[in-house]
Amino acid sequence: MADTKDLVLEVHGLKTNFYTYEGVVKALDGVELFLRRGDTMGLVGETGCGKSVTARSILRLVEPPGRVEEGEILFREIDPKTGEVNAVDILQLDEDEMLHIRGGKIAIVFQDPSTFPNPVFRIGDQIAEVILLHQDMKHDVLEMKINKLERILNMNPPPVNVSEIVAHLEQLRSMRGNPPEPDEKAKKKAAKWRAIEMLKLVRMPSPESVVNQYPHELSGGMRQRALIAMALACNPSILICDEATTALDVTVQAQVLNLLNQLKKEIGTSIIIITHDMGVVAETCNWVAVMYAGTTVETCATDELFANPLHPYTEGLLHAVPKLHEERERLPQIPGSVPNLIHPPSGCRFHPRCDFATEICKTEKPKLEEVQPDHWVACHHPRI
Amino acid sequence: MKLRDFILRRMILAIPVIFGVLVITWFLAFQVGDPAAMYINENTPQSAIESIRKAHGLDEPPHIQFILYLTNLFQGNWGESTSTSFRPVLEVIALKFPATIELAMLAMFFAIILGIPLGIISATKKDTVVDHFTRVFSLAGVSMPIFWFALMLKYVFYYQLAIMGLPHLPGSFRYDDLMFPDFKYTTGFLLFDSIVFEHNPRLFLDALAHLAMPAFCLGYLTLAIITRMMRSSMLEVMREDYITLARSKGLSERVVIYKHALRNALIPTVTVIGLAFGGLMTGAVLTETIFSWPGLGTWAARAILNSDLAAINGFTLLVALIFVTSNLIVDLVYGTLDPRIRYG
Ligand SMILES: Nc1ncnc2c1ncn2[C@@H]1O[C@H](COP(=O)(O)OP(=O)(O)OP(=O)(O)O)[C@@H](O)[C@H]1O
Ligand code: SF4
Ligand SMILES: [Mg+2]
Repeated sequence: MADTKDLVLEVHGLKTNFYTYEGVVKALDGVELFLRRGDTMGLVGETGCGKSVTARSILRLVEPPGRVEEGEILFREIDPKTGEVNAVDILQLDEDEMLHIRGGKIAIVFQDPSTFPNPVFRIGDQIAEVILLHQDMKHDVLEMKINKLERILNMNPPPVNVSEIVAHLEQLRSMRGNPPEPDEKAKKKAAKWRAIEMLKLVRMPSPESVVNQYPHELSGGMRQRALIAMALACNPSILICDEATTALDVTVQAQVLNLLNQLKKEIGTSIIIITHDMGVVAETCNWVAVMYAGTTVETCATDELFANPLHPYTEGLLHAVPKLHEERERLPQIPGSVPNLIHPPSGCRFHPRCDFATEICKTEKPKLEEVQPDHWVACHHPRI
Repeated sequence: MKLRDFILRRMILAIPVIFGVLVITWFLAFQVGDPAAMYINENTPQSAIESIRKAHGLDEPPHIQFILYLTNLFQGNWGESTSTSFRPVLEVIALKFPATIELAMLAMFFAIILGIPLGIISATKKDTVVDHFTRVFSLAGVSMPIFWFALMLKYVFYYQLAIMGLPHLPGSFRYDDLMFPDFKYTTGFLLFDSIVFEHNPRLFLDALAHLAMPAFCLGYLTLAIITRMMRSSMLEVMREDYITLARSKGLSERVVIYKHALRNALIPTVTVIGLAFGGLMTGAVLTETIFSWPGLGTWAARAILNSDLAAINGFTLLVALIFVTSNLIVDLVYGTLDPRIRYG
């Protein structure tokens, strides 16, 4: 594995249970993830394998009856001044420190754009809210004032008191190094201005009017863009997109994915894309983690995974992706069904469906190991 | 403009409702008694009875009488309240309305002020002692008959405290007329009059003391309804995805509850509040009677006992108008809370 300093997020042995009336749902049992700074990681697996629960566990947003039982979620942040890397274990933070991380350092875009925005608040206010919460608005207020003066100068016809404005503008620009503390009203205005900037960033059509609109007045694609704008508003180190594009139609989906990749370059965010669409992974991600029934079974670079899958489950999963040049009556399926997580199979959770299972698979849970350079697999008999 | 059109349309739609109320109450009253009976006694000669009937249009067939009644209504003649010294119904209503409204407003005020926070606390502290207590308290409110509750209040806070020689709450009327013999109503709203026109804080406090029991008694049912509604809609809203989103932004639990959840949870509660306001008018009949409150409720109760048909019809019409108006106000408040509602 590469130097741990490059890893912005490391998840080890994450276990999350849900205490339901039917019994304890062991939704996550030993999830392992590594996310390098600047990477886009795909988190894939069948429905119900625990992708969303993983995302929520990382942000400590698992709600009762669920509970994160054990594990380690290391978040490494670069101090902008000293360039030093500090690691914190998210599971050890207290609730106040956690509020700082959520939305500010790690942001999430959820699955369904129709139910996630709050229906009674304007889009702009919902974006401004998170900006006001995490950012000291000194720079923004100043930039907003400079921006306004610049616009006035460029007006046609030019204003009468040009020299005064230029002088004032110079004065404001000189304060950039150490901006003054703004008042509440200016902060709110600047946050709204930033909200418009964010909407422009996510290529929202007519952002000036959208800030004042309510969620129900937007289309699904626009709402999803608004949610992405909300998540990116504070330049988070990590952006988690939980099926952020699944509810959208194919063209909009492609637009949003393109957008995410462009934004990654502009802002320098590391991204986790949760999906069960291997096509999306192939197009947008450079690293993949494959999950099965609450465990990470394989993780490596995307090209490597497609060229050389080592876990029997991944192999089956890739066969399930239709290829254009092949003509087949039916898509092959992995035999058997997703296991019951209240009474999960012993040992390797995949063994009832695995063609290569042996005795040891039924009794001993395989560990995720680096079987080939930078290629990690949890299997007693990897397909080398 | 849109808003004005909406209000206008709603008022037009209210016409059939009011007409229905008029038809039903008038024909029911027509079946129940003979209005002429109130104008005669055992010594009235037969010929005089005939002329009384003629004078009041009572010799006409029912549908003509009903049309006559409608025409009079529109001309501001709601009939005479025979049980109130034959004074015009509208005049009696104008006289007694402030007492009832003051009582109802105070009842509503305290039902809202207590009910909404109780519902929120009960929901956010679900299955704790606070929640159990609140649920029992509100269950009692919706299941207790108002007249029984009124009598119990009066028994404890007036009668028992008084015979123990302790300070007690007044059990009847709007103020103590032995203490304030010179007081004259200006607007009829005592709390208002006592401060604005009389500059008399002692009268104000006395009026409040007199309001305490009847207002609590009248408001308790509404309080219970609001608490239960608030609790259940809060619980529902807290499960919504947008609450998860709010949490994922790093907002504190306080902001999540009081900003993101509350605004949404208030929407159904407001509907209930509007409906309950109409219900207060009917509750006032029982409460006012027990606390000898000189308002519309007492008057309506006496009218019923005396077959004062014009008064009964007048009171029913007034309650219907209040229902229609409070529903309209609810819809307007609704629109300010929920941007998805369009007036159109
Ligand atoms: N609130 C809950 N109560 C009980 N079990 C739950 C709850 N939430 C999730 N689970 C369980 O956790 C497991 C993982 O669910 P999760 O939502 O993470 O799946 P997913 O991989 O995101 O699937 P999908 O692709 O359908 O979104 C499921 O088997 C589910 O039964
Ligand atoms: S550990 Fe055994 S059962 Fe599990 S995937 Fe590997 S071979 Fe199959
Ligand atoms: Mg999911």
